[in-house]
Amino acid sequence: MFESFAETLVDTFGQVTYILPEILVLIAALIAPLVFNITKKGSVVAIVSFVFVAIAALLVMLMMHTVTYGAAFGMFEFDPFSSLMMLLFVAVAFLTIMVSPVHVETTKHCGEYYALICAIVAGMMFAVSATTLLGIFIGVEVVSISSYALVALKKNDPRASEAAVKYLIIGAFSTALTLLGMSMIFGVTGTLVIDEITVAIANGMVANWAFILGCIGMIAGYGFKIAAVPFHSWAPDVYEGASAPVSGFLATASKKMGFAVMFKIFFALFVLSHCVFIEEFQYVFAILAAITMTVGNLVAISQSNIKRMLAYSSVAQAGYIMIALAIMSQYATTGALFHMFTHVVMKGGAFIIVAALITAGLGEKIEDYKGLAKRAPLLAAAMMLFLFSLAGIPPLAGFTSKFVLFSGAIFIDGVVSYDWVWLAFIAVINSAISLYYYARVVKAMYIEKPAVDDKLSVPAPFMVAIALCVVGVIVLGVYPEILLDLCSTAAEYLIPSP
Amino acid sequence: MIGILEYVWLVPLVPVLCFVLAGFFGKKTPQGGGYIAVAGALIAFVIAALASYDYFSSDYWAANAPYVAELAWMKVGRFTLNFGVYIDSLSCIMMLFASFISTLIFIYSIGYMDDQAEKKTRYYAEVSLFLTGMLGLAVSSNYLEMFVFWEIMGLCSYLLIGFWSFKHPNGDEASINASSAAKKAFLVTRLGDVCLMAGLFVLMYMVGSLDYVDVFENPAKIADQYGNMLPVAVLLMFAGVVGKSAQFPLHDWLPDAMAGPTTVSALIHAATMVKAGIYLVARSFPIFVYCQDAMIIVAVIGGVTAIYTASMALNNMNIKRVLAYSTLSQLGYMVLALGSGAYLISMGMESGNEELIVLGGAAYVAGVMHMVNHAFFKALLFLGSGSVIHAVGTEDMRHMGGLRKEMPITAYTMLIGCLSIAGIPIFSGFWSKDLVLEAAFAPFHEGLGAGSIFMVLFILGMITAFMTAFYMFRMWFMTFCGKERGHCHGESPYNMTVPLIILAVFATISGLGMLLIDGNAGILQSLATGLSGTFDGVVNALPHFHDGIHTIKEIFMEIPTYVALVLAILGIGIAWKLYVKTPYDAEAFKPENHGALYNFNAKRHYFPELYNWISWKFGAGVAKGVNAFDKYVIDGTVNGLSNTAVGGGEGLSGLQTGYVRDYAGLVAVGVIVILAIFALIFVYGGGF
Repeated sequence: MFESFAETLVDTFGQVTYILPEILVLIAALIAPLVFNITKKGSVVAIVSFVFVAIAALLVMLMMHTVTYGAAFGMFEFDPFSSLMMLLFVAVAFLTIMVSPVHVETTKHCGEYYALICAIVAGMMFAVSATTLLGIFIGVEVVSISSYALVALKKNDPRASEAAVKYLIIGAFSTALTLLGMSMIFGVTGTLVIDEITVAIANGMVANWAFILGCIGMIAGYGFKIAAVPFHSWAPDVYEGASAPVSGFLATASKKMGFAVMFKIFFALFVLSHCVFIEEFQYVFAILAAITMTVGNLVAISQSNIKRMLAYSSVAQAGYIMIALAIMSQYATTGALFHMFTHVVMKGGAFIIVAALITAGLGEKIEDYKGLAKRAPLLAAAMMLFLFSLAGIPPLAGFTSKFVLFSGAIFIDGVVSYDWVWLAFIAVINSAISLYYYARVVKAMYIEKPAVDDKLSVPAPFMVAIALCVVGVIVLGVYPEILLDLCSTAAEYLIPSP
Repeated sequence: MIGILEYVWLVPLVPVLCFVLAGFFGKKTPQGGGYIAVAGALIAFVIAALASYDYFSSDYWAANAPYVAELAWMKVGRFTLNFGVYIDSLSCIMMLFASFISTLIFIYSIGYMDDQAEKKTRYYAEVSLFLTGMLGLAVSSNYLEMFVFWEIMGLCSYLLIGFWSFKHPNGDEASINASSAAKKAFLVTRLGDVCLMAGLFVLMYMVGSLDYVDVFENPAKIADQYGNMLPVAVLLMFAGVVGKSAQFPLHDWLPDAMAGPTTVSALIHAATMVKAGIYLVARSFPIFVYCQDAMIIVAVIGGVTAIYTASMALNNMNIKRVLAYSTLSQLGYMVLALGSGAYLISMGMESGNEELIVLGGAAYVAGVMHMVNHAFFKALLFLGSGSVIHAVGTEDMRHMGGLRKEMPITAYTMLIGCLSIAGIPIFSGFWSKDLVLEAAFAPFHEGLGAGSIFMVLFILGMITAFMTAFYMFRMWFMTFCGKERGHCHGESPYNMTVPLIILAVFATISGLGMLLIDGNAGILQSLATGLSGTFDGVVNALPHFHDGIHTIKEIFMEIPTYVALVLAILGIGIAWKLYVKTPYDAEAFKPENHGALYNFNAKRHYFPELYNWISWKFGAGVAKGVNAFDKYVIDGTVNGLSNTAVGGGEGLSGLQTGYVRDYAGLVAVGVIVILAIFALIFVYGGGF
């Protein structure tokens, strides 16, 4: 039944089928302001965009299920990797849109709000499916520009404006660097199509500094997107300044796009082409990964604002995922992709709880969380699960994915290797450090006395979203197989077995 | 065969179901889910007993093989992680005593926690999960699975030690203590866990798998191939044990963990948690025996922990803390026996001397047997102290005294516990402690290379035996003899005294029972048989293993037995002289009336201060330093910029260009960092 439907789709739309999900989300972005103008109700806009995103998600799943993979006009490709990432983006969008209407910080400009979210999701989907550097660049820019506006939408808070300005300026730098890098690659290889660049490198026309600088430009540029140290300074301010659902959205989805794009570009540039500089760049990524996770974790310890703490913890998590960029193997990439998904449920869940508590009138300081176990037992229990999962306590999702990811530094495509064991060690030690600041929040919630004793109540959509994340954290921890297969397939697509 | 062995996975599953049931529906049932927890532990025990019976009557046991059943948990590329059960005599013993003692502790809890109102639900849910952790650990089929349960226990201990943090029965200060104790336990053990995890990574690197079956299949080959790396893995794993089983120098969390309810202490000390570390050593024995030098370190840490922590119990006034130190000291004994046993076997395999292997096997059995005996008498002592605290309302022994008449059952069951731990014949502690000391003595007796080190450890062990007898009876005399110095509510209810009586019976007979069970073969034989399945050296030595009766005869023919006995009686005598003969004098118990050594000891040798110094001065210092760098150097430029942008237009243009230049500088720094790393590796690798 599914197969015949997919065939009908391909017959009807031709190559356009492979960008149908993007188009659906784009339509949502376009009609959201219109719907708002007609109905004047934020919740209606939310429902409309929710429906569109849901249809797009179903479509992606259907096409994955029936293996309807292909390229649209040679520009965008629907393949095991891009489809998996799309699934991640729509999942995040799903959660964000679900909680936004009831969140107290959400702006009056509902039309723009949902339009921007949908535009970002569409941009991310384009970026991960693009087959040329130009396509990737444009996709990423759509995301960036919409994100600046989205952060600034929380108009009554000066912190938000500050963060948006900062985000914008840093974003501009990163864009410039990326573009510089891409143009150098173009200069060296004479093409912007990734496959052709791979061939050009394989033919050995790149042993010069222009190529190296081009790669470094792109690493720095996308380093901003994934908030790798030393390009991370925007992240804490933006996550603190933006409204909590938006922070969660940015922390979980837009960073993942940065990684997806980096995987796509750098695996092609270094691994598939058997580039002569692969080892040097592996070390660049490995050292950046080590610095990123260490700085992220150490700075997180001394934060008193929970959003800032989560932001630095995101920096640290980015460091973990960068291990895959350093190892450049199928196994590690599987781990990284899987960790990206588990990160969505645990970090997304944590941000949603923060949002829910802000709605319920609680502050953003960690000390405001004192005695939460008494005031909101279910929320406190869920928060504890998310934080312990982030710290990598078994049997939660964070442990499972970290284990696969870290062991990727030891098992390199089925062969045990000694080269990167040090990176696994640093990661394990970091994982231990991180427990310190997560435990601090748990201690505040469970062990310290609350200042006031009244119960907190939060709107139902929050509870639904949190429950979904809790299920995710437990199920992905205990039964990882359900996603791990998809991640393996995607990793195999990125780095085919020799 | 009755076929229940295939369902042994139910053993950890039943308590986890109880955790869910008690957590969600506990409030609606009587005792806040207490009966659910008791039923869960009891069912787990029954299944464990049936499965053990099944295993011991099965072909697996006859063939010295474990029963293994596994499911694939995760498949990544060519690497598969399994989830399953691995049953041999060690896992059987482990799950049997853990579930049995937990059942008794849970029954006792119904009386002890009766006044806790709605908090009971949380308590019973968490202890059920705690039990899941221990039973899961006992049946796990690979190191990763074991680690999962290991961490679950860590988590539960955190929550349970901090149980009274909102409202401690003894006031606010105690609440604060509870919360910092919980955190300390969590973070300190976690330090060990990280090492364990790192050790597992190294192990995985060497073996290519973490399944027990694969690791123990041919440890000799691993030792051949990775001669230098195996000790690293083993020591890292042992560091995990040091954290979990509170060995020196990570021992300090355990006395603080007394801040939790007494039943939790009993659970942590007797049935779960600290026993997990000992179990890990016993389980990993087949690979440990290939690291001779590392085993000396293990034995030394055990011996040092034993005497060092015993010394701290000598002048402590808190009844629970005395027991906590005694646990530490007894754990040191177990580690000492296991380390010494591994050393003996390792020497035996090297020189081909089967007698050494037999002695090593006996030492291994001594360690495991002491773990089981300790579980009985320590559960008894803790529950007894809980009964005392329940009646008197304080943990300070200066406010007790003369309780023997008011609460006779508690007094005399605890006396049995004290006799047992002090090593008085017939009682269980005597047998295993003697075997432990014998194990420490053997390397010297056999004239092995490190014999002199073991001789010192043996002497330390002897002194520890003396100290143990002294401080245990000091505790008993101070609590139950002399004049009454506080108010007492009388004997505890039946649901508390009955578990005490049952435990007292086991604390009396478990040692002898284990030696004599199963006809003449004895638990000794059965454990050694289990061990022999895992490596060749022991199989040859198997016929030489002695049976229980022979062991008993041997114990009474050795001189050290009598020396230890005399020392124990001497210890009891001195305690009697000081605390019964001499009338109670409040002045004598004030710290200021004592010398520096007394106070140094009472202050736990300033270990808590050292920990605090490391964590605050050092750890927090580094964190603050990095934060400042991030804030002022990296972030300062960016913040300045956006502040100006938001702040308005005046005088802005000049500043702004400056800031943007700074910011561009930051970007340049980043790019230069990447370039530098690249260039460094590039030049190092030889350039174009």
